Amino acid sequence: MSIKAGIGFRKDFAEEFLSGSVLKPGFLELAPENWMKIGGYWKKQLNQLAEMYPITAHGLSLSIGSPDELDMDFLKNVKHFLEEYNIEIYSEHLSFSKCDNAHLYDLLPIPFREDAVKHVSQRIKQVQDYLGRQITIENVSYYTPVAAEMDEATFITNVVKEADCKLLLDVNNVFVNAFNHNYDAKTFIENLPLDHVEYIHMAGHTKVSPSLIIDTHGEAIIDPVYELFEWTLERVNQVPVLLERDFNIPEMEEMQNELNNLEAIMTKKWEAKNVIENRNI
Amino acid sequence: MLLKTETYNQQSNFVQYCRDGKEVAILGTNPERLPHYRRLVFNIIKDTLETTFPISFKYIDTEIWDEMVYNYFSSHKCNDPQVWRMPKEFVDFCKAENYTTKFNLPFLNDLLYFEWLEVELYMMEDDTYPQVNSTKDWLKEKIAVNPEHKIIKLEYPVHLEKPFEAANKKGDYFLLLFREKETGKVQFINLSVLFTFLIENIVLAEKTLEEIFNDILYIFGINDLEMLRSEVFKFLEDLKTRGFVLGVHC
Repeated sequence: MSIKAGIGFRKDFAEEFLSGSVLKPGFLELAPENWMKIGGYWKKQLNQLAEMYPITAHGLSLSIGSPDELDMDFLKNVKHFLEEYNIEIYSEHLSFSKCDNAHLYDLLPIPFREDAVKHVSQRIKQVQDYLGRQITIENVSYYTPVAAEMDEATFITNVVKEADCKLLLDVNNVFVNAFNHNYDAKTFIENLPLDHVEYIHMAGHTKVSPSLIIDTHGEAIIDPVYELFEWTLERVNQVPVLLERDFNIPEMEEMQNELNNLEAIMTKKWEAKNVIENRNI
Repeated sequence: MLLKTETYNQQSNFVQYCRDGKEVAILGTNPERLPHYRRLVFNIIKDTLETTFPISFKYIDTEIWDEMVYNYFSSHKCNDPQVWRMPKEFVDFCKAENYTTKFNLPFLNDLLYFEWLEVELYMMEDDTYPQVNSTKDWLKEKIAVNPEHKIIKLEYPVHLEKPFEAANKKGDYFLLLFREKETGKVQFINLSVLFTFLIENIVLAEKTLEEIFNDILYIFGINDLEMLRSEVFKFLEDLKTRGFVLGVHC
């Protein structure tokens, strides 16, 4: 069985996906906000792509950690989009991007607090009830904590367990946060509810100062992140893995090389794991 | 709400800082790293506006543009969850703030509106095309047009001239914008008053050409029906070639 990694779809290289001449991802991920309620040229492109690749949806604007009320009109459009394209995985960020009725279109850190755990969990449940499915929540990168009263791993774990949702484990985000906040990445991952992991993200980042990394998705994945990824795969079930690249787009061959690298690790780790599990049976 | 007021206050302060960059006390934050959030968030707004309004951004003085963008993001609460739609709010904001007068940019409202409409038409949801028949008599039937279009009126010819040249030519300018079915590209056509009347009557009143001709003769005081027919047919043929006129309704 061939194990394929997916890639985040960007308009910058849409033609490449349609021709499939160099990039050969197993699936595409896109942000529903950028693709729902549109028509014309991009709708046609999307329809063609949806016939060629399975699609996962990775949201940006649900703002699950917002103090504001959930935007049910927005959620209605997301639901329609997921159904229209037969999308099984809908993930969102464990962050907030809207407050006091103002959208900021970026991922802001939720205070790691007990009341926030309850608030966010209740909102995830509300979303899951409305969509009629479990959603998948991603650990985000952050550059400063805000009013934290517990550590990040405890916050994520409590939310995932209380909301009974899935976890999108972004390995690069763990690496970035571990560096920026001086903790051990492996210990952090071990403390997460790994049996809830349904999806994995991998990406590159940019070191902007000796003590700060920004999660840019604008560089190639570095070796320590590959190593952390390999280590992580031994601890999670076989799930889809995605390469994110949003800026500083390289030649397609370079992107395919990154997909090949991920797939080689996935194959090595998961095929070995399958063999061992089959022997035990 | 399960969220305590104190937690909400921290989130609210954090967001307000990201929007206006003014120092505010936020519990447990690293003051050296907060500015990264302000920069990242503001860049999304700035980049989105520059991409949506390339002509405005190119011709308006950088300091003025930056002030407009800063004012917009710090005092306006962006309402749309889809970031590509957010610039429409910028158009409305600049109009409400009367920036045409404040910054002495008389063309501003028209230019922003025109640039936004190109994006909106390009991205808008597909509309249902009418069933058409190309063999029926154009004169006696109702003409069918591309439903993905807008007819607008501008005070300055920002679609024809560079903004500061357009600023000296205040008047009434009518414009038809539509999206080509096959390519999805947005075309725009400058319209005379008479042709605007013609198109509006075709689209809104759904009258036959014969009926519209009678109205034109009366309203515009034209005596030469043959010349009118000839010019209108030439115009409609051109619009058919371009993909706006589709034929006549079945």
